[in-house]
Amino acid sequence: MKHQKKFESQEQQQASETQSQQKTSAREFASVEELLRHDAKQTNVPPEIAQRLGRSLQNEPRPARSWWRRWFR
Amino acid sequence: MDSSLTEQPAPNQPLPDLVSNEFAGLYQTHSREIYYLTLRFLGDAHKAEDATHDVFVKAYRKWNTFRGESSYRTWLYRIAINHCCNLRQNWANRHLVTNADDAVWESAAASGDSPLRVLEIKELGERIQKTLDQLSDEYRLLLLLVADEELTYEEIGVLTEQSPDAVRGKLHRARKVFTAIFQRSL
Repeated sequence: MKHQKKFESQEQQQASETQSQQKTSAREFASVEELLRHDAKQTNVPPEIAQRLGRSLQNEPRPARSWWRRWFR
Repeated sequence: MDSSLTEQPAPNQPLPDLVSNEFAGLYQTHSREIYYLTLRFLGDAHKAEDATHDVFVKAYRKWNTFRGESSYRTWLYRIAINHCCNLRQNWANRHLVTNADDAVWESAAASGDSPLRVLEIKELGERIQKTLDQLSDEYRLLLLLVADEELTYEEIGVLTEQSPDAVRGKLHRARKVFTAIFQRSL
């Protein structure tokens, strides 16, 4: 009897954990844009790009300052 | 409101101290949106890495021709869109509206503007990509651009060479097609 109660209590706990897991993983997005914004925020830029870009730009001639930037700064 | 929508993304990797501070700042500020656009437009992480690298190399070369007539954001988007379209030129999917879009459009009317319910957030990116892959290049691009809150319909119109009204109309269809495919992909 004691064992059965313990088992039932464990089952209840597991069921409630599963429910809360489902609650935390289920999300609702009001629009496609909202969904994509969320996806964009979760997407990190691979650090390799910055390293590779740094190496590539080392071989590039330094661009001259444009008249526009000289004028406004 | 969904708490995850307010989560702060990881900061972008700074450029090594090899280029001007100004350009390094440009990369730091805009690499995320350019990488995301190329990733979801091209549908391949390796191609997106290459494309993001190439876009910023091109921007660096054209740095002195930027006249401030648009924001840096739209300028970089222009370079990225041209680059991605060139990459896809040899691919079959060049039509503005594909048959797949038309077929889905027929069944999309019922989907309306219903919210997109997601049960498994872990595989969300994969599911979004599979849905985007089934859209035409134009619909995919419009949805990715409108998801950037900083861009106006006018700017999206300039970037995609059409009027803001045309952007609105196509986005209406693109959203419905996306929603229909996304909901079926469960």
